[in-house]
Amino acid sequence: MLLQLKNIFKWVNSGGQRVFLLKDINLEINEGEFISVMGPSGSGKSTLLNVIGMLDTFDEGEYNFLDESVHNLKEKHRSNLYKEYIGFVFQSYHLLDDLTVQENLEMPLLYKKFKGSERKAMVADMLDRFNIVGKKDLFPSQLSGGQQQLVGVARALIANPKLILADEPTGNLNSQQSEEIMELFKKLNEEDGVTIIQVTHSEKNAAYGSRIINLLDGRKV
Amino acid sequence: MFRNYLKISFRNIWKNKVFSFINILGLSIGLSAAFVIGAMVYYDLSFDKFHPDGERIYRITTSFKSPSGEFYNAGVTVPLAQELHNMEMSELESVAPFFTAYPLYVENPETGNKFKRPDFVIYTDDSYFKTFEYEWLAGNEQKALQAPNKVVLSEQRAKKYFPNEELTNIIGKSIVYQDTISTTVSGIVANFEDRTDIVFEEFISLKTGITQDITNTMESGWDNTNSASQLFIKLTKNGSSADVQKTLTRIAKEHDNPEMVAEGRTNTYTMQPLADIHLNPLYGTFDFNDSRTTISALNSLLLLAVILIVLGCINFINLNTAQGIQRSKEIGIRKTLGSSRIQLVFQFLGETFLLTSVAAILSFFLSKWLLLLFSDFIPQGLTFDIFWNPWVLIGVIFLLVLVTLLSGFYPALILSKYKPVSVLKQQIIPNSDKGTMRKYLTIFQFVIAQVFIISTVLVGKQLNYVMKKDMGFKTEAIAYFRTPWRDVSYDKRKRFVKEINNLPGVTEAVLSGNPPASFTTMSMGVTYHKGDNEVNSDIQLLYGNPEFFNLYDLKLLAGRMPLNDSIREYVVNTSYLKVIGISDPMDALGKTFKANNEDLPIVGVMEDFNQHSLKYGVSPMAFTGSSYTDKWTQFRTIHFKLSNLERSDWSQTIGQIEAIWKDIYPDSDFEYTFMDDTVKRFYESERKTSILLQWATGLAILISCLGLFGLVIHTTERRIKEIGIRKILGASVVQLNILLSKEFLKLVLIAFIIATPIAWYGLNHWLEGFTNKTGLSWWIFVLSGLSMMFIALVIMSVKTVSSANTDPVKNLRIE
Repeated sequence: MLLQLKNIFKWVNSGGQRVFLLKDINLEINEGEFISVMGPSGSGKSTLLNVIGMLDTFDEGEYNFLDESVHNLKEKHRSNLYKEYIGFVFQSYHLLDDLTVQENLEMPLLYKKFKGSERKAMVADMLDRFNIVGKKDLFPSQLSGGQQQLVGVARALIANPKLILADEPTGNLNSQQSEEIMELFKKLNEEDGVTIIQVTHSEKNAAYGSRIINLLDGRKV
Repeated sequence: MFRNYLKISFRNIWKNKVFSFINILGLSIGLSAAFVIGAMVYYDLSFDKFHPDGERIYRITTSFKSPSGEFYNAGVTVPLAQELHNMEMSELESVAPFFTAYPLYVENPETGNKFKRPDFVIYTDDSYFKTFEYEWLAGNEQKALQAPNKVVLSEQRAKKYFPNEELTNIIGKSIVYQDTISTTVSGIVANFEDRTDIVFEEFISLKTGITQDITNTMESGWDNTNSASQLFIKLTKNGSSADVQKTLTRIAKEHDNPEMVAEGRTNTYTMQPLADIHLNPLYGTFDFNDSRTTISALNSLLLLAVILIVLGCINFINLNTAQGIQRSKEIGIRKTLGSSRIQLVFQFLGETFLLTSVAAILSFFLSKWLLLLFSDFIPQGLTFDIFWNPWVLIGVIFLLVLVTLLSGFYPALILSKYKPVSVLKQQIIPNSDKGTMRKYLTIFQFVIAQVFIISTVLVGKQLNYVMKKDMGFKTEAIAYFRTPWRDVSYDKRKRFVKEINNLPGVTEAVLSGNPPASFTTMSMGVTYHKGDNEVNSDIQLLYGNPEFFNLYDLKLLAGRMPLNDSIREYVVNTSYLKVIGISDPMDALGKTFKANNEDLPIVGVMEDFNQHSLKYGVSPMAFTGSSYTDKWTQFRTIHFKLSNLERSDWSQTIGQIEAIWKDIYPDSDFEYTFMDDTVKRFYESERKTSILLQWATGLAILISCLGLFGLVIHTTERRIKEIGIRKILGASVVQLNILLSKEFLKLVLIAFIIATPIAWYGLNHWLEGFTNKTGLSWWIFVLSGLSMMFIALVIMSVKTVSSANTDPVKNLRIE
């Protein structure tokens, strides 16, 4: 088992009232799964993803990740944990505009203290694998949306994470580009055994996954 | 990692060119000021630090107490050295007296080469070289100055007087001072290589002075203190300075004249540590050509440097926190990719350091230029080379790190606090940042700028006031020069005056004492008996004749002039009448006062005039004739009035006078001074303060306005959509401009309100130092406040007007 959520609650106080963002979420995810989270806007999809990614906190409940109790961990340990095991893919790519493709790919490795030679090899490998060697010295603004997302996925993968969290990865892409990205996810999941959790609006994209979780007003349905 | 940071930093600096420019410029202004001022401080503090046992060397100085205050003299009474020597105190390793001498010329009789006015000549004995350790290049250190008519030269002087000679060959050769003092070179010492105030170059043996004393001081006794008579001592390793001081105080007391003590006049000896000589204005140093700073001046300059740096740092903090939103995305991404907060803090500090370093490089060039621009304020020996001194370089690096922390730490903390979730989802601008801190900092900047503006206006007003104010005598078109003081011939002077009087460009010339106002004052202690009461006071003396009195347009209120030049009759001023309590000038006539046990008659009363800077009040003064024999007459200065009032026409007449000088005094140089220039020189330090203040004000305004400009750009760009909507709804450019500037003008106004009492307090204090002062008028504050507002408004309008003028459709569409 990769991770387990038990009775997770998250709320904000608004005008004296408690508004629930997540309500009593229970979830178990095993290694090698490909899960799609669906639901209307505001149903808590992204919040759930951020909680799983440890970017966001929750107010009540238990979260275990690889036998570590996330809810008991200090900020620093938590960040070490996600740094080690989780890769993120965003709807709007979130590449650093001031860095080239190559440098963007290198960045997670820097924070994991890989040596220079290792970094070079890993970046070269990734460029090769995603067929973007020719674009390595371009800046994000010089790439199409699909290409940017390709770099985004490559960056998420470069440090060999166990889990990839993708928040509407194809939201800004046209249908052909979407398809390419989804095919890539599928391949990663099936061939490399990477666990993937994606948030999506599209039934078609959800179908790539092995399991669908539906959310409505912060509850699992 | 480091390379990655560096790259990001460079690209960031490059991308935000305007902000980087503002930051770098602001920081480099502060840094260059700090570099130059720091170099000055280092320079001035590094004097005489190299002497072995330097901390055991003291100069003995004298301070006098009298009814009119305390006075200081760098010299001591001549017998003191002998007395200390005879006591053989166990605390003293050496007692080194010397006399500074100013020979007119010195000659190498072999070559016949004459050298005019050699400087840094002293009479001393071997004890001097026991106190100060020199490297001996030739001659015998122990005995060099034992016999009369010996001289030790510095290496530089030896080479000057005996070019092309081996140093050892120079020993035994002779040089002759003023045709009469023949000396044999008995030693050559290396010049000190490090900075020093012990600048002497020629050491004549003390015994020479028994017969040939050009200082005219060596014979004097316990009642006469001359700054030419210097005394240095060196304590033994365990010698207690307190014990020596006790002995000195005792000696001073023993030799105080009881009559003087009864009048409230005493003197004491103090021990001035060698390290104190350079910066203590009370006693001065031996090199009169070099301008001296004082500790308090250095402190004000340091404060100025700190202020300018802080202003620059504030710009940095303000612009970086304001720009934070632009960088929040990067922060979010870095955090999700595993960056810790500490790593981000270091990244931002690194960026700040980079920017600071760029500013520092710029500052180096600026410093070079500043050193030239402010050469009037900077000691001559201080050049740009001082920056290659390792200690200065270490200081520079330390300063860079400090500035980096000061300006980078707060923004780094704020920026690294952003939560990745909120940033990446672009939902909220982190709500902790309402810009409150920025507002405080901006207000602080403008308080400083405002205080500077008010001060500049007031100091300017005061300077103008004292320079324009009537001194009480005529100064226009009057000049004077001193005849060579060693030339005692009265006839030569008489002849000179006669010849000047014949020149067509001169209305009148007279031979008299010093001008009514000058840097030299003569005074004596006098006693006035009023019934049974004694009134002791000091009275300044002005030596002249009726022609002199009229030349300067002095006013006689009652009585008459002294009957002739040599009779002892006095015309006192009204300030002295106040001291002795006489209100009607007529009542003073026929009264006498006592000086040196002699009754001196008051024959007239003159109106007060200022004898010195208007900073000080009018001192009691008495006008009298030359009062000495021909040889020792006070009449050594020739005053003349030019007939033409235009300055440009004067050079011809001056040239003619110089020609006469060359004829009468071929051995000396002609130096004349216009009375107006003398008056101007009274305000030298105030003028310097004023110039520095103007610069400080300009720079403070520049830095603060740059920062303001940056903030205006930032807020205006954030509100560009609002501007578009308002414009479509019918707002005019002026209305928009007011809308955008209002917020900042409020800050400037608050700054003004805070600055006013601070400036008022400080300036009031400064003005108290002046006897004649202008008022702290309300309009100074209003004018300063309005000009600050105006400057701020103009700066802001550059951006706001252009934003208000852009096509609203475009702004709204881009959004």
